[in-house]
Amino acid sequence: MREMLKMILVLSMICGLSGLTLATVRQATSERIEEQIMTFVQGPSLEQIFSDYDNNPVKDRKTFVLPNGPVTVFPAMKNGKLSGVAFETFGKGYGGNIGVMVGFSTDGSRLEGIGITTLKETPGLGARIVEPEFRDQFKNLPTINIALKKEGGQISAISGATISSTGTVAAVNDAVKIFQQIKDQIPSEWGS
Amino acid sequence: MNRLWKEFSKGLWNDLPPFKLVLGLCPVLAVTKTAYNGLGMGMAVIFVLALSNLLVSLLRKLIPAKVRIACFIVVAASLVVCVELLMQAYAYPLYQQLGIFVPLIVVNCIILGRAEAFASKNPAYLAVADGIGMGMGFTISLTLLGSIREIFGYGTWFGLEIMGDWFEPFTFMVEAPGAFVCLGLILAGMNTLTNWQRKNKGLEAIQGPVHDCKTCGMCTSKPGA
Repeated sequence: MREMLKMILVLSMICGLSGLTLATVRQATSERIEEQIMTFVQGPSLEQIFSDYDNNPVKDRKTFVLPNGPVTVFPAMKNGKLSGVAFETFGKGYGGNIGVMVGFSTDGSRLEGIGITTLKETPGLGARIVEPEFRDQFKNLPTINIALKKEGGQISAISGATISSTGTVAAVNDAVKIFQQIKDQIPSEWGS
Repeated sequence: MNRLWKEFSKGLWNDLPPFKLVLGLCPVLAVTKTAYNGLGMGMAVIFVLALSNLLVSLLRKLIPAKVRIACFIVVAASLVVCVELLMQAYAYPLYQQLGIFVPLIVVNCIILGRAEAFASKNPAYLAVADGIGMGMGFTISLTLLGSIREIFGYGTWFGLEIMGDWFEPFTFMVEAPGAFVCLGLILAGMNTLTNWQRKNKGLEAIQGPVHDCKTCGMCTSKPGA
């Protein structure tokens, strides 16, 4: 009986102390981790979208609260004037969600371009959505009726990777919808 | 002092984890595409191994024998999550490269093996020396394997271009089969070296695979030693 009590006591104590340590470390690093994820996951995709900006979109980001959850919006600015915004949406891919950073012009009439943030698609097939050949089709595209060619749109799908292509287009269309909801708040947020 | 050096240095050659004990092979094969990845993984292992040895050694009189494995795992797992969080906060690109293999350090047999075989039976200072020595041996091995694979597979070393323009990268080396082939060649090289040393000392060469207790060092009883 005493032995059993000791086992329970020691194990609980070790687990409790571990939990305490982990919670402390997590709290201490959480802010920096978020910053790092923004810089290394979202940052590179922003560079693929905007070519002409002089601010740090990651640093200037703002979060908008929408009925479906919060959206983090990254602004691109030139000489203090807002030239475009981008945010991330997700589409269903072949191997899980595809994260797509979608960039809009300030008025939302056309896309600035897209960048892929996360994907688990098949290398050589679906993973080719990260290649400029596919991505650049979205550059300067009007935001109405974005669809694949076989559905009467203007985007050529990657052959052999219809699911990945469709998922990307779905994510872009999602982003267009979200943009309509935050459109009115954008000018006041970054003052231009 | 002598004892301290002995426990530290055994991890560097005699009980070199991946090549002599042939333990912890999963990260050895998986993350050594480049020298930098190998070094980063090794650093994480040194940190976890030294601290888990220290904690296990300090707690060794407190931990009841029946739940010792559970206790060791809790200690190792907590340390690994700490490393993971710190790596995310301060070396995110490395974290992206190593991915799932950082959390998998928990189940790396070196960690549990050293806790069970050494730290739980020895005082703290020896346990730390053992942990750092084993960790450094592991790091050196990973960096060596990573260097070989990177030099032949990409023509670079730690990202620096070292082979000329004439060099056609041997991409086989940075894929999974290359890891096995490379590891096999290193093991063969080490066996040849060992036998050559034994021959110089006038001992008989070791033939075929030897998996008696002598080559392991994971427990204190060494029947043939």
